[in-house]
Amino acid sequence: MKLSLALRSLTAWFLIATVAFAAPVAGAQNVLVDKSEISFVAKQLGVNVEGRFRKWKANVVFLPADLAKSKAELDIDLASIDLASEDSEREIRGGLWFDTAKFPVAHFSSTAMRELGGDRYEIAGALALKGVKRDIVVPIVLKKDAAGNRVAEGSFTLMRLDYNIGTGMWSDTKTVTNDVIVRVRIVLPPAA
Amino acid sequence: MMRFVSARYSGVAIALHWLTVALVFVNLTLGLSMVPLPLSPQKLQWYMWHKWLGITVFIVICLRIVWRANRRPPPHASMPDWQRRAADCSQVLMYVLLTLIPISGWLYSSSTGVQVVYLGLFPLPDLVSKDRTLASVLKWTHYGLNSALFALVLVHVIAALKHHFIDRDGTLARMLPAAWTRSHS
Repeated sequence: MKLSLALRSLTAWFLIATVAFAAPVAGAQNVLVDKSEISFVAKQLGVNVEGRFRKWKANVVFLPADLAKSKAELDIDLASIDLASEDSEREIRGGLWFDTAKFPVAHFSSTAMRELGGDRYEIAGALALKGVKRDIVVPIVLKKDAAGNRVAEGSFTLMRLDYNIGTGMWSDTKTVTNDVIVRVRIVLPPAA
Repeated sequence: MMRFVSARYSGVAIALHWLTVALVFVNLTLGLSMVPLPLSPQKLQWYMWHKWLGITVFIVICLRIVWRANRRPPPHASMPDWQRRAADCSQVLMYVLLTLIPISGWLYSSSTGVQVVYLGLFPLPDLVSKDRTLASVLKWTHYGLNSALFALVLVHVIAALKHHFIDRDGTLARMLPAAWTRSHS
């Protein structure tokens, strides 16, 4: 029992240390990754197909009273994609889709946050994906869960062909739509 | 010469039987050809058609079960009791398999996170949620049930041909269209 306790506190220390070192943004508030999710949905031959990313990192400073000092940075490990089958995951890591050998990470960096009123915000930023960098705007809604955590949920439509995702035989948008709805759910611990 | 043309199945039963044969043959061929293909738009298209055909088989089988439940099939030609029992058992088993196979395919599709939308118009509910382990189980269930059906159909065809060419007892003619029987008698 003692040993497992010691192991657990050791693990906890490692986790804290890892998170601390992985947080280059000053004053970053630890994102509760287990409760958070980055997922997406596209239509494949008229049928909604969902996926998500198993591995990503986020550094978020969210200060509703000082949006100018607020910041959101996300690094998404594209190879960690979770799709219908291993077959499709292999395909999407390939050159016609994400080409994860060359472009392993998608990066989002916010440039401005704006309050829309009623717990609604707008985060503008740049999304770098497969060597293409584009400005995007992500509307989010801020809520609180039962534990008092701050839950930011938002979604935006990404045109996959803007980033050369799904080229060649996949470029026909009748097979897979150009519009991919990306859903982001970021859970932050209660404000200190 | 067909001397013992006994009572035949009803026209509806005959039509539904041969419709099942055609649908299952096409869909089995499609299923076996699409699986080894490398992922491509064509493969996705074939999977979609396979699902549509499978659901069509399910609908046809439901109609057949309703039809069969309301009409007695024509009596068997004279044959040993064990053959009659074996024929009845294998027919029940084929109905069961033809019902379970489309269901297992539908559940398999759901377990991979892809909803079945019949003909692109009618979304079937996802009765199971996306689950890699469950998907693997359902995939092999779908394959296993199809293998069982294939074996059973083989016996069914051999038995029908044996009754036709060796016993010459009119068993096959009960399930053939009237026009075919007339032109060959």
